[in-house]
Amino acid sequence: MTHDPSSVSSAVTIGFALLLAAMIASLAFEEKLHAKKSVIVAGFAALCLLLGGLLDLLPFSEMVIVVGEEHIDLPIYIPAIDWEVVAIILGSSLFVDITSKSGLFTWIAIALTKTSKGDPLRLLMFYGVMTVAFSAVLNNVTAMIIVGSLTAVSLTRLQLGDKLLGFLLIEGLLTNVGGLLTLISSVPNIIVGDAAGITFMTFFTRAAPYVVVVTGITIWMGAKVFGIHPLASDEARSVAAQRVSGFDENDGIKSRFKFNFGAVMLGAFIVTIAAASIPDTVLHSLGMGYVALSFAVIMLVQYKSIADRFYQAVDWDLLAFFGALFVVINVMEHAQVLALIGRGVTPILGLGDTIGPATMLVSAAVTSSVTDNIPLAAMLATILGNLDLSADSPYWWAVIFGANLGGNITPIGSASTLVAVTIIHKHGLALSFASFVRAALPFAVVQLGLAAVYVLWVL
Amino acid sequence: MTKLDQFESVFLAADKTALHYEKLAVEHVLVVSDVNDDAATALWQQVRTFLSVLDDPSTRWARLDGGGFSSVQQLLDIVDAEAPDLIVTYRHLHSSAWQWPHSLGEYLDVLTQATPVPVVVLPHPDTALALPHTVQNTDRVMAITDHLSGDDRLVNYALGFTQPGGSCWLTHVEPQAVFDHYLEVISKIPEIDTDSARELIERQLLKEPRDYIESCRQIAERSLSCEIGEIVTMGRRLSEYRRLIEAHRVDLLVVNTMDEDQLAMHGLAYPLAVELRQIPLLML
Repeated sequence: MTHDPSSVSSAVTIGFALLLAAMIASLAFEEKLHAKKSVIVAGFAALCLLLGGLLDLLPFSEMVIVVGEEHIDLPIYIPAIDWEVVAIILGSSLFVDITSKSGLFTWIAIALTKTSKGDPLRLLMFYGVMTVAFSAVLNNVTAMIIVGSLTAVSLTRLQLGDKLLGFLLIEGLLTNVGGLLTLISSVPNIIVGDAAGITFMTFFTRAAPYVVVVTGITIWMGAKVFGIHPLASDEARSVAAQRVSGFDENDGIKSRFKFNFGAVMLGAFIVTIAAASIPDTVLHSLGMGYVALSFAVIMLVQYKSIADRFYQAVDWDLLAFFGALFVVINVMEHAQVLALIGRGVTPILGLGDTIGPATMLVSAAVTSSVTDNIPLAAMLATILGNLDLSADSPYWWAVIFGANLGGNITPIGSASTLVAVTIIHKHGLALSFASFVRAALPFAVVQLGLAAVYVLWVL
Repeated sequence: MTKLDQFESVFLAADKTALHYEKLAVEHVLVVSDVNDDAATALWQQVRTFLSVLDDPSTRWARLDGGGFSSVQQLLDIVDAEAPDLIVTYRHLHSSAWQWPHSLGEYLDVLTQATPVPVVVLPHPDTALALPHTVQNTDRVMAITDHLSGDDRLVNYALGFTQPGGSCWLTHVEPQAVFDHYLEVISKIPEIDTDSARELIERQLLKEPRDYIESCRQIAERSLSCEIGEIVTMGRRLSEYRRLIEAHRVDLLVVNTMDEDQLAMHGLAYPLAVELRQIPLLML
């Protein structure tokens, strides 16, 4: 991509590498800096572009598209952005946000609560499975918000406040497990899957067995560690059933038509996204971003007069963060920083087919546990992409599993565990950084251990 | 964390308070009056007819006529000894102050607060103020409060006093003055949209009692033979109550009297008991 890699001096490469390290460190201290991710990364993107231009690293002359007799000049930062990823995230977040307005997800959540009849163990199992399913369809943060807020309300109703911390922690950990279920379940999946050429269906069929097994194990461990047992007496069961019977799953449904339409469209969305995996089809050519945006538009027709409210609700911080991040990574590529990191990764690749991917998985997990997994995934995807690895190389899966599950080691490792901790603190429960790590580490070790076994010997 | 708050609100709203129905058990009724002989017997018979809904082979009816007590302490001692489940009496016992409609009289004042026993307060027999349809039966009962949702005791009493085939009106009047006061404050806070706040808060304030009444209606349909009426509105409480009582020709008004936070009678019950002298009240 760089016009002449050999023309970039080591000093320039190291300088840009330091800039990249500074950006990652800033992201890790996002809360302390009181700055949104988008602002942090956009600042670094602007600086990188300026320095890249001044140092003649950027191929400005190549930024002209010839269409017939027309020559279109593109700003250097436009092709740097992976618009397919942006389209998938924008389209699916809009689609999911509008669908949730129909009351579909809250209906499912409350119906499951009532089906549990208030039994704590059954509630943990239902909420655990629901967290994984919602994380697979929605983004992890929204899934955690829905399940976490319902958990707080229902456990308060059942007078099980002492179990709230355990429930929320397990749910937080399961968001990152659920994030592994489909290609669109988490951003690292989208980025790495896109770079590796892994289709939606391939991703699902390969990841699902692991997700099912680890969900079961995590819930089982959670029940043991946090003392969540089934109710012992008929009287206790009767009282609990009466307490949850007051929940009305239909309360949040403003229009039955919109509710049914939302349910049908959600099913259609998943099927169509999966269909876009089939090669040599129009949908495949148009891409998953097109599918996501089209479904968002169809849903918006239901709310055409107030569509602007949904635009306001889009996570522009996340989208701007992506845009800026891709620009930074593009400049880093031109500055040979990714090649430098790639040379650092090469020894891992040289460790062989077993230790190599396992080391990659653990390294990705440890890095993701202390900083944002998106830049990591974007960087590693670019580096692995430049190595011409095949789509079924275990290294891709090592990055995917490591980047997702690394979020379970610390409370800052993923946005969804941070939400879980926020809900815990909101309800007056004490959970420090160290106590989170103490509680979560056994789960993370088991999940990562099983992931390594799965990636190396099952996939 | 706006989204977190949004979803928590959705789930809190979906967690509806439902009536826990309990059949009213009134096994011992004490009728207290300040008259004797024929007048006392006539009152006794009128009360038995009026409260025939409580008639059950196991119900024990007792009477305490005017000659049976001459001080508040004596009355309290008798009530303590009898341990009734319900007292039936009227205002201004052993007093002519009934001519001035400004209090309940010392006996009733103390009785309603010093004992946990519910009291049915009849229109004073000498005033001739009772509306023509009242003190005959209880086929139109109204429970009234400014916080109906979750008030199972109030509703269970109202249902228990409603004759089979009768109507039980469950009434929630949200105090307009308080609402206006908060809206006035909200209108001065730039971060809160006043029109949205007015619409959303009013809707939610009235939705909760409506949901609760719906749960009462479902129970009544399943296991009771009375009809549930719903009145949920904003209003100036006393004037609204007076209007509703007249509009629905209420035979018995059920109100809460005790207030856990104070020795004095519930802030709403006292003016009601003083001013609504034309119909019987059940003061819980």
